[in-house]
Amino acid sequence: MAGYRLGVDVGGTNTDIVLYDEASGAQLVEKLSSTPSNPAIAILEGIDKLVARGVQARDIGFFAHGTTVTTNALLEHKGVPVGLFISDGYSGVIEVQTQQRGGNMFDYTFQRPHALVAPDCVKQIGGRIGSRGEEIAPLDTDAVRSAAQELAAAGIRSFAICYIFSFMNPRHEQMTAQIIRSIVPDATVSMSSAILPRIREWPRFSTTLLNAYLEPALVRYIDDLSVGLDRLDIQVAQRFLMQSNGGVMPFSGVKGNAVHTLLSGPAAGVRGTCHLLARGAFANLITMDIGGTSCDIAFIEDGKPHEVSGSEIEGRHLDVPSLDIVTIAAGGGTIAHVDRGGFLVVGPESAGATPGPACFGRGGTLPTVTDAYILCGFMNESSFLGGSQKIDAEAARRAILTHLGEPLGLTPEQAAEGLLRIVNARIADQIALKAAKTSVDVKDFTLVAFGGAGPVHAAAVAKELGIDRFLVPFSPGAFSALGLLCSDIVHDFLRSDLADLDTITSDGIEHHFKALEEEAAGAIQAEGLSPGGNVFSRELDMRYAGQGYELRVPLGQPSPGGVIDLDALREAFHTLHEQHHGHSARDGAVEIVSYRLRSTSVTRKIALQSNAQAPAIAPETSRRVRFGSDAAIETPVVARSHLPPESACKGPAVIVQFDTTTIVPPGWTARIDGIGNMIVERAENV
Amino acid sequence: MSDQITIQIIRNRISTLMDEMDYSIYRSGYSTIVRESHDFSVIVADHEGRLLVAPRMFLHAFTYYHFVQTVFRLYDKADIREGDLFVSNHPYQGGVTHVPDMATIAPIFHEGRLIGFCGAMAHKADFGGTVPGSTYGKATSMYQEGMMVPPVRLYREGILDRDIERIIEANTRQPRLVLGDLRTQVGATQQGCERMRGMCDQFGRDVVVEAMHRMLRASAIEFGDVIAKLPNGRHRAEGYLDSDGVNVDQPVRLCVQVTVEDGSIEFDFTGSASQRNGPINLRRPQIEACCFYSIIALLDPTLKYGHGAQDVVRFKLPENSVVNATPPSPTSSYMPTAQRIVDLVLEALGKFSPRRAIAHSGGTGGSLTIAFKGDGWEGRGHQYEIFGSAYGASALGPGASGLTVHLSTTQCAPIEILETEYPVRITRFELVKGSGGAGRFRGGDCFVRHYELLRPATVIYRADRSKFPARGVAGGSDGLPSQFKVNPGKSDEAVMPASSMVELDVGESFSIQPAAGGGYGDPKEAPAGA
Repeated sequence: MAGYRLGVDVGGTNTDIVLYDEASGAQLVEKLSSTPSNPAIAILEGIDKLVARGVQARDIGFFAHGTTVTTNALLEHKGVPVGLFISDGYSGVIEVQTQQRGGNMFDYTFQRPHALVAPDCVKQIGGRIGSRGEEIAPLDTDAVRSAAQELAAAGIRSFAICYIFSFMNPRHEQMTAQIIRSIVPDATVSMSSAILPRIREWPRFSTTLLNAYLEPALVRYIDDLSVGLDRLDIQVAQRFLMQSNGGVMPFSGVKGNAVHTLLSGPAAGVRGTCHLLARGAFANLITMDIGGTSCDIAFIEDGKPHEVSGSEIEGRHLDVPSLDIVTIAAGGGTIAHVDRGGFLVVGPESAGATPGPACFGRGGTLPTVTDAYILCGFMNESSFLGGSQKIDAEAARRAILTHLGEPLGLTPEQAAEGLLRIVNARIADQIALKAAKTSVDVKDFTLVAFGGAGPVHAAAVAKELGIDRFLVPFSPGAFSALGLLCSDIVHDFLRSDLADLDTITSDGIEHHFKALEEEAAGAIQAEGLSPGGNVFSRELDMRYAGQGYELRVPLGQPSPGGVIDLDALREAFHTLHEQHHGHSARDGAVEIVSYRLRSTSVTRKIALQSNAQAPAIAPETSRRVRFGSDAAIETPVVARSHLPPESACKGPAVIVQFDTTTIVPPGWTARIDGIGNMIVERAENV
Repeated sequence: MSDQITIQIIRNRISTLMDEMDYSIYRSGYSTIVRESHDFSVIVADHEGRLLVAPRMFLHAFTYYHFVQTVFRLYDKADIREGDLFVSNHPYQGGVTHVPDMATIAPIFHEGRLIGFCGAMAHKADFGGTVPGSTYGKATSMYQEGMMVPPVRLYREGILDRDIERIIEANTRQPRLVLGDLRTQVGATQQGCERMRGMCDQFGRDVVVEAMHRMLRASAIEFGDVIAKLPNGRHRAEGYLDSDGVNVDQPVRLCVQVTVEDGSIEFDFTGSASQRNGPINLRRPQIEACCFYSIIALLDPTLKYGHGAQDVVRFKLPENSVVNATPPSPTSSYMPTAQRIVDLVLEALGKFSPRRAIAHSGGTGGSLTIAFKGDGWEGRGHQYEIFGSAYGASALGPGASGLTVHLSTTQCAPIEILETEYPVRITRFELVKGSGGAGRFRGGDCFVRHYELLRPATVIYRADRSKFPARGVAGGSDGLPSQFKVNPGKSDEAVMPASSMVELDVGESFSIQPAAGGGYGDPKEAPAGA
């Protein structure tokens, strides 16, 4: 019986590894610099280190991995060359797209993101399906064959097939795939009717193209990693990959699903928060994950993260379900400047890993958020990965004085405090805006701070929002890796068929869901998961006739008689519309646009232990910290590992641990709860 | 002096507040125009109605100041109270873009002191008039364009005047949509005032007022600095609209002379046509929008408009002209005129500062209405689409192809949605390669879209630039003009005037092709491979 579960989160800067001992509940953490050219190197090295600490690799019974391989391949234009088969006469769909432009509205030099397909690799194919799925013109199989041969001769191995109305009738796309495979046996084929069988051609084609562009890179990476894991004698068959929807999928399910990993970066942390923290008094949480370049915000309501059905990445449409995460350019490396109007502005530029903040002494001269931490006394040389990063406080001071203090007529300390006040207010403003957009009241929520810098800002952001409490989990610096060990296996299936709710029958709806369930069962089996170990949940995308957007309406399992109550469904839609939009049209015609089936296979997850102990570090006893009054105050510095459970530590205090620093201002009190979380609360009227 | 950091925080918070007001209109919008075309705006202004930050829908920005001034003229200042809210969709008295755009403004009071205004403006489904939607392309007078509400008080000290709401209700074909959208807009306006009061409570009123003052001053400094860098001089540009939509054989002359003198800039539109019988007439707020858009776009797209920018800009608008019309000239088709004025102002400005100079763009791609007939279709909605065109090339590179340009940004309807909802088939949708003007950099290509009717229908296409293509500059060539064809490629193919209405039967087809962008620079200097 295998006794360990392993979570591996690869970020842009660091690779975090958490090993969880199922018997004792103990966690071992490894933090390594990422190896972007081949992320598997850092992973395997980290596992080696665990082995050196006495872990038996063959005892690892669960492996879950969060990766930004696809995201990076897209950002760095390192996908593969793609051949596109598109309905003859409809190339405008991928060229005109929505006919809108992104970015600054005033910039008429706007260009769309570069095309994922070279012009000579776009092949227009005769054949047409109509709006009811009927064949209007037969597929021109000769054209498919000669195009496939031509593309194959040019070395193309990844193909996207994008036909109009293929979501109503995938036959032409399937025939095309078959012909391609007969010519290129090792082809990667992405069919729009399989990747995203949903109405609206451009989002479907865009998502399909992204998959075709990125899937080979992901598959190659997963294969490499698998070989490495085998070599290390990690024998577990259950190897999983994080998806944007907050669930994992087995390595074997990657084909056709590469696009589901594109927004998975921040998802594991949110998922971990849901599983480990969101219960009881903490059912409503706002996660604030602040790293080197950004601050990721997500809302968890009643233990469930907010989700969205579609989004954009790098100006490209990507319509797959993902957790609703707002990213703000406000991380430790974010640069501040004074603009032409004489205002202090923070971001969006970041100093990144190189040159990094001025205080890192790697050639950075511009003032960053981290430089402000140094001047305010929030951090010092011991704060960065146990003191392995040397800090040049004088460089921080110089950068802030030159670029902010002098132009504004402020001392470096005043400018540093001002910089942090602006960042905190901006994060708070964005949280408040998101709350307003999703119709929730932030006062019903607790802030959860993680990432290396989240707990530095938490008290100030909470105060801005009028929230009296925040929580810092046990290992905030490796929390995403921990989150990987808390994720279920989740697959989303979808089909579109526009129908008037007045004319559709319960059987008609059931028919679609049964087909989706069959599809899901097939996929689950193909991935080597046990059929029957999963639960299905159903949703309908519904709208008022003529609306250009839909709401996702949950549909319960059918009653034993199997009849769906259409009146109740209509009522549920009106109510949801009222909730989301403040009004409904009870006399308006309601339509079903798409059917969604989610399959969830529950995994065994970790639990936090009451005896969890942070690794001990020995900090200095006090330092001078600026909390917004004119003078710095002498402030106790406390190691988190020295905080006994359930005892209070009154602010002002700086609580330090290996992977983060928590600022407890005057009037706030920190305590460790029964499962190792630190809860920081504000006394009234402070 | 107040703490600068606090002022910066207030400034950020006012921007976030506008995002919140914006989203609340978007989220609660009843009509698809609001949601899909984002044809609405929200603002925060100081106690004189001076805008602090430009709204995303820039063409709306200048209406508000005008609207507030009218309210000051109409009402005793002492009689403007907390909880009041004014409404207008009057193109002349309210200064709105056209009749369907209804604006609301409300004073922000804190402890009895007027500190500013919040406002919103959103396109409404219908205010009566000759045609549904109240944008009658053949209107010869504003009285055919629907009901006009002059600036009136819709709320007095927080109490809705139901009488005014009932007058609006009685004058629209879509009372539920219009009142629903209006209430949403009022809600966003009031929410803005409430939040501004909250900021005064938190930071102190004087600090908020000073922050507003500083924001205005910052915009004056920003624009002053940029314009001070321009050389003194005078440049002209002129061009023509195909027609005013009514007198289809008469082109409409537009003309601008830009004078830079020691850090200030003047836009003189003398020489532009007298106001027209057709609905293409603009007024001062729209001209201001076109000119400030052009200044920002050409000189520095990161410039942030605030009313302070007006310090260094002057306008000379001939009376009773197409750029400064008086009642009862109709106004509903403002966009083609606005887009053309942007092309001309950019052309003239580009001679002062060639770094970002740009050729003319394709303008609006026109609008298409298909009214199906028989089988119960008369009572149902029409298929309605708005198209983009293509950007002209600039000194920095080629123009982008197939998209909405400059002042407009609307989505195109998906083919699969259109064919599912209407008895129509879109048989071709592609870029017209090489349609953009040649040059050192090529103008953007336009697209062509072919339609086949599965039921008889009346088809109305309204477009510009069929006679006057997007002009190339600095030696670049013109882009292809727009084109509307019936039964393209068949024996009875007919090229129609760009703005026309045709009756078509089952199986007949048509194609629309907006104008392409103009080229920039000498084609002989084109970089290799371009």
